Amino acid sequence: MPLLGKKADKKLTKLFFATDVHGSERTWRKFLNAGKFYSADVLVMGGDIIGKMAIPIIREGAGRYRATLQGTIHHIEGEDALKALQGRVGFLGFYSQVMDEEEYRALAADPSAVDRVFHDLARQRLSAWIQLAEERLSGTGIKAYVTGGNDDYADVLAVIQEAGAQSIIDCEGKMVQIDDDHTMISIGLSTPTPWKTPREVSEEELWVEIEKMAAQVPDPSKAIFNFHDPPNDSTLDRCPMLDWDADPPAPIVKAGQMVMHGAGSKSVRRAIETYSPMLSLHGHIHESAGIVKIGPTITVNPGSEYGEGILRGFLANLSHGQVGGYQLTSG
Amino acid sequence: MAAIASVPEVFTRKASGLVRVMSPYSAFVYNILTMGLIFPWTYLWAPGALPGGKLVWGILLAMLLEIPIALAYVWLSTALPRSGGDYVFQSRAFGGFWGFTLLMSGFVIWILQWVALSGWLLSYLGFAPLFLGLGATMSNPGLSSIGVWFTSSTGIIIVSILNALIGMLLLVSGFKNYVKVQYVMFYAILVAFGTMLIVLFTTPAEVFVERLNAFAVASGNAPNFYETALAATQAAGIDTNPPFSLLATLLVAPIAWTSLQWATYSAEQNGEIKDARSFKNQAFILVGSLIVTGILLALLAAAIEKAAGTEFLYVAGAGYWGGVEEAKIAGFWLWPNMLAVAMAASPLVVLLIGFGYIMNSHQIVNNCYIGVTRIMVAMSLDRLLPAWVSKVDERLHTPVNAHLIYFLFSIPVILVYNLWGEWYALTLGVTFACGYVFAASALAGAVFPYRAKDIYEASPGAKYKLGKVPWVTILGGLGAVFGFSMVASYLIFPQLGLVSTLAYTVVFGIIAVSAIWYFVAKSAQKRRGINVDYAFKEIPPE
Repeated sequence: MPLLGKKADKKLTKLFFATDVHGSERTWRKFLNAGKFYSADVLVMGGDIIGKMAIPIIREGAGRYRATLQGTIHHIEGEDALKALQGRVGFLGFYSQVMDEEEYRALAADPSAVDRVFHDLARQRLSAWIQLAEERLSGTGIKAYVTGGNDDYADVLAVIQEAGAQSIIDCEGKMVQIDDDHTMISIGLSTPTPWKTPREVSEEELWVEIEKMAAQVPDPSKAIFNFHDPPNDSTLDRCPMLDWDADPPAPIVKAGQMVMHGAGSKSVRRAIETYSPMLSLHGHIHESAGIVKIGPTITVNPGSEYGEGILRGFLANLSHGQVGGYQLTSG
Repeated sequence: MAAIASVPEVFTRKASGLVRVMSPYSAFVYNILTMGLIFPWTYLWAPGALPGGKLVWGILLAMLLEIPIALAYVWLSTALPRSGGDYVFQSRAFGGFWGFTLLMSGFVIWILQWVALSGWLLSYLGFAPLFLGLGATMSNPGLSSIGVWFTSSTGIIIVSILNALIGMLLLVSGFKNYVKVQYVMFYAILVAFGTMLIVLFTTPAEVFVERLNAFAVASGNAPNFYETALAATQAAGIDTNPPFSLLATLLVAPIAWTSLQWATYSAEQNGEIKDARSFKNQAFILVGSLIVTGILLALLAAAIEKAAGTEFLYVAGAGYWGGVEEAKIAGFWLWPNMLAVAMAASPLVVLLIGFGYIMNSHQIVNNCYIGVTRIMVAMSLDRLLPAWVSKVDERLHTPVNAHLIYFLFSIPVILVYNLWGEWYALTLGVTFACGYVFAASALAGAVFPYRAKDIYEASPGAKYKLGKVPWVTILGGLGAVFGFSMVASYLIFPQLGLVSTLAYTVVFGIIAVSAIWYFVAKSAQKRRGINVDYAFKEIPPE
């Protein structure tokens, strides 16, 4: 795209894409406001919407609580302080639950109970998010398409469909028409990671899924691929190579240096090279933000800064199968 | 009330995580290398231009003035650990126009002069003394002649262009390759620095003149070099025993700041530093490297004064600043490394010091590329520079175009710097220009709690307050005052070199070109339906 380019086409659809909010209240709220803020017609969320950590807020009696946040134990007193702490926890993308000391100890000793807590808290937050989306987006004409990512539990994602919301559309595993000209297919699965996350499949299985979805697309040149996993060796997937046997996975160091590699999917890359969609949207590797071209396809990973409450995104003007102006945003 | 948790009372689940490449120690080393503790501005420029100024005090003053700036960076870096760097700090605090204009002018354009300086240092301070020293200690005039060639314009230009080319190729081949070389550079510099300190501290003052004269003769000068240089200096009207001057001592600080202002350069790479959100880590990296380098710089100044005496500083300064030809050995200024080589008169010492200077000089050009190409890529992704600038090579995984452009633009600057005499007076223009970037970031730190309230409140530094005022506001404010004062001194005091019509034209011209570029780019992108302000404009969450 030249610096001094043509005048923008007036008949266009403005699309905003963000991904990997990982439970962050603040970035989700920004996502919902992005349509109005950027004058976007279509919002797309690329997956990994569930938080990674739950903070027990332990009741110590008489309105006093303690909680560990970012390695520091906070002792607080009063309901206002409790509310502020819960807000800060949500800001960072974590969940919180108030509990007694005994309840905490019992939970800490039972991993399956912790797992149930995560599922419950994630469902609650997602339900609240959908309700908020309905309040903010209904009547605006802005549609928000949401897919899951490899970190998201399937039963939690089902909340989107169960809610039957008008403004939030569960687009995973579907071909959706985002305007008169353009279609989008979405896949939130990833190839295996060393963390053994909830929704991982082999390269072969992912390719089968992609082929199934791509077959529904009437014209790939006017299609958007919204695949959580970035294409392999595209520079949108650079990260340190990890030792999968270590817990947690540890970087592999050779000759005193971390070994870097492309951790994206070969199947996703093959799909882009085979079908040449107009635009391909990805996430998954937070630290590898960028825009590259694979053949004619503009391929994007906006990265993620959810922990700081910053919504990284990508804004594009779509018109007749062409991506006009586009940019990365940091809202 | 808060305490550090020994066993975290939190629940985590299986989810993919973020891993970073650079250890805090690597970032600490990187900053020390960037500050170039063996570079000689302070040791010759200051005594030449500022009679009566106390070197050691001036260096320590510069370190103290830089501390609040470095601390403001600690707060900013822990608040924005993934996307940090001056461009992000300033754009978030002041908006895209100021972020772009200050960084484009102060870093992207002016650091081209650092590329030229890196080559000049490599040739003049690395290769020339190496060959001159080997020639003198091994009684080999051929080697001395090679040393003299490295001080010629032709020699410096060839070395500078090759230096820039090799740096570009190293970095384009992959950042990991640079990191491997970085440790070689670091230890080579430490060895060179340590050698100089040992030689200078152990040289008895009474043999200094004798050894310097012997070295001068071996390098082709006439006998009694020191006595001749002293007489010529005094004949030129230079007082070699001036009374103490407070103003001169204060003005040593902006010169020493040429090195010490780079204590915060690792912030450009926050996204790659492990545990960059940790306050302790950032304090170690930014403030720790500053204090270590400041003390080492002061130690070297003290070592020179101990070995050579104050009178010698004015003789050496006369050669550099006053143009007294008799105060040069084989046409070569009396840099600290030359003194150490002369005092030791040993080929091994020559090699150790020479290798350290070569490594540190070359490292500077790598720093130029590393920091500036990251900023250029960010500006390109924000649509303020052409899109091809940010294109990342799929095979090498590096922004090849950004490196190549920077290399090509450095060539005319190398030529101008070495061929146009008047331009040489703008040498410390880089300190001025980079200084306003650092001072502006300190100011960004001061206003950060108010301009990006939520991000600040969620950062680890938010808990540090004096009454109701965030510490970062106090420290950032102080840092900005100190920083801008040193920047302003360059435009006021002729001893610092930026008071000519040429200097004002260049300084303000570069700022104006950058500002105009911003508006032209913004307007061009608007025609394509792109609002460049979106790159940093925060979406209201409510």
